[in-house]
Amino acid sequence: MSIGENNLQGLNGGQRLAVKYFVVALALFGAQLLFGLLAGLQYLKPDLLYGVLDFSVNRMVHINAMVVWMLYGFIGSVYWLLEDESGTNVVGLKLGNLAFWVLTAAVGVVVLVYLFVQIGPGTDTTLWLINEGREYIEAPRWADIGIVACVLIFFFNVAATFMKGRWSGIAGVLVLDLVALAGLYLAGMFYTTNVSVDQYWWWWVIHLWVEATWEVLVGCIMAWGLIQTLGAKRRIVQTWLYIEVALMFGSGILGLGHHYFWIGTPEYWLTIGGFFSALEPVPLVAMVVHAVYDAGSHGFRSSNHPALAWLIAHAFGNFFGAGVWGFMHTLPQINLYTHGTQWSASHGHLAFFGAYATINIAVFYIAVQGARGGVWMSAHLPGNGWKWKWALALLNVGVVGMTVALLIAGYEQSFVERAIEGSTWAGYFAGQNHPWFLQAMHWRMIFGWVTLLGFALLVWDLFTIGAGETREARDVHPGEAATA
Amino acid sequence: MIDPVDLNDFFVGFFASAMVVVAGALYAGTFAWSRLRALPRLMPWAYVAYAVLFVSLLVLSSALNLSGYWRVLLVLLLLGYLLAPHAIWHLCRGTHGEQTPGEG
Amino acid sequence: MSEIPWWAGEGLWRKVAVWVTAGSFVVLIFLTFDSIEAISAGSQRVPAYSVINQQVRYEFDAARNIQKPVIGGGAPLFGQTLDEAEAEALVTLGKKTVQAKNCMNCHTLLGNGAYYAPDLTKAWLDPAWGSETARETLMLGFLMDPTANARTYGTGRRMPKLDITEQEARGVIAFLKWMSSIDTNGFPYNFKSLAQESRS
Repeated sequence: MSIGENNLQGLNGGQRLAVKYFVVALALFGAQLLFGLLAGLQYLKPDLLYGVLDFSVNRMVHINAMVVWMLYGFIGSVYWLLEDESGTNVVGLKLGNLAFWVLTAAVGVVVLVYLFVQIGPGTDTTLWLINEGREYIEAPRWADIGIVACVLIFFFNVAATFMKGRWSGIAGVLVLDLVALAGLYLAGMFYTTNVSVDQYWWWWVIHLWVEATWEVLVGCIMAWGLIQTLGAKRRIVQTWLYIEVALMFGSGILGLGHHYFWIGTPEYWLTIGGFFSALEPVPLVAMVVHAVYDAGSHGFRSSNHPALAWLIAHAFGNFFGAGVWGFMHTLPQINLYTHGTQWSASHGHLAFFGAYATINIAVFYIAVQGARGGVWMSAHLPGNGWKWKWALALLNVGVVGMTVALLIAGYEQSFVERAIEGSTWAGYFAGQNHPWFLQAMHWRMIFGWVTLLGFALLVWDLFTIGAGETREARDVHPGEAATA
Repeated sequence: MIDPVDLNDFFVGFFASAMVVVAGALYAGTFAWSRLRALPRLMPWAYVAYAVLFVSLLVLSSALNLSGYWRVLLVLLLLGYLLAPHAIWHLCRGTHGEQTPGEG
Repeated sequence: MSEIPWWAGEGLWRKVAVWVTAGSFVVLIFLTFDSIEAISAGSQRVPAYSVINQQVRYEFDAARNIQKPVIGGGAPLFGQTLDEAEAEALVTLGKKTVQAKNCMNCHTLLGNGAYYAPDLTKAWLDPAWGSETARETLMLGFLMDPTANARTYGTGRRMPKLDITEQEARGVIAFLKWMSSIDTNGFPYNFKSLAQESRS
């Protein structure tokens, strides 16, 4: 196979399926940004698309597209590494391909219904066919069932392939994590009138996905990626994967308590949630030591510079998004003011991007490299690699800019609306009309455009990087370098 | 029971909590760099960062009215931030098979 | 390269990971049983749906240092006293309507949702309704035609028309009244409730 040409036949079966997932993920990433921009614009021009595509619709598509593109990225990543890690062909690949098409068709139908039907009468039929109306898991019940079926096929592919081939520490963690991931989704698949009970289980899905099982899934992908791009030693990488699992689950599972402060649940959650989430940044900070240790003893001889750059963005993004932004408003003494304000939006933007968008983009670059037959992606790319560097810069500046703007809005909101005005509707609107808030919304919009520009550049780069390249990828000698 | 933060302590509360995590990372980073490159003159700066963290945590605790059993959290945080980088450093050396007897 | 010390071994950390995860999860399950019981409808913290027959106030509790809902005397919603089953049916219609109309992607409920429109946790008690007597009619009119009855407070943001029927609107109001009776540990903080005559 020749270098530098797009040649999917050179990939293994799992990787060809992965490419499909990545393409849809990228399209949904674009949809996330477009609908985010619309929702952001409506803060500035409330009459825009009023009664046609209301804020609620745009915002719903914005956050759903995000969740689904990230899941597509994760699923694709796992298919990408599956044959390599297990040493055998994917078991039931045809079924896996079928699941991809079914899932994608279902996602398409759900989005069309969101956009064109939007709402229904207050009946079970609406919840089954149109919209479940619960933030992040709005997908109607029929789609829930479809999602679970497709995820079970995905799980079967992964587990059966590892069983046929070889097990590894990464495989073990991955399979158990997928069980938890699928199982937790079931916690969000029932109706109850009791809004406190509703939100109790709802957080099981949202929190235990985002702050526990996703983190570990990313840990598995990271571990494999480090072995691939830096040639790290498997034994060391796996030991650290276990350490990470212990820290993530040890703090993350009961860290769930910080969502149980104000939904009706007993007061002991103030203590449990406060303690566990306040302690969460400690291991995160301690991991800085590990990063310095590795960077120092390795010297960044990577076979894929864009991927490595995005992995570093991931480390910083996770640290600031989850660590700093999380800790700033996690204790109940302060969260009483910040809960349900733009604070959460600020934290959400940086944490989701920093922890998950970055790692997915890193894998996209690894995939592009493979799809072009293992092409050179280290230093001295044509044009000095300006496209990937600018995409990296614009996306990060854009998201950080939005985050800071929303932080200022959130600070003002919790101060004016909550602390001074006393959380009434008049107080809410006093906060929304405050000059700080209005300016913050403009700045958020400007940085939103910057993000979109970065995304456009990213797509362009992903489809062109390595084209016409004749050098082969730098060999990092897997297993010989002395680091994780 | 919690005693919500006062209006006057609002900004201080946010600022101090951000400083805790940032100073914590600075401490951990400087500490690791100093050990890795065998630069003992860097180590005092690591502890300067920890001192900033220490003060920030005390400020945070007073702004957020952490009293009673919340004091336990304060102590856990002070100790955790101090010791965790040491522990992780040992683990790094250990997992990489670079631990020599009596060192560290 | 020297040997790997026991405390840095792969096997040990595998066990630690498994035990920490399992241990945390068991604790969570235990707490979940306790919490679900504590928040079932009809409990101390989450009153029965028939609370819509009574007055709901929000008052400061010095012992807990926060405000909490206080259930007062009879104040039937729309002047109709409902039995437990009827009340549950009405609140259920309201909750399903709240989901079907996607309220949570503009508003927050118990502080969770989107931030484009005000929190609904204490919507029933909001001083914006003016008085206890006018409240129900105003809410009904607003929900059924939010465009004509828009209150934007100068932001220009209007709730869109969501084809809410009168029965659904009554359900939503019942749901909001019931939700305002949930003990949320003082959230939203410092809330200034609609003036109500104390009835007990």
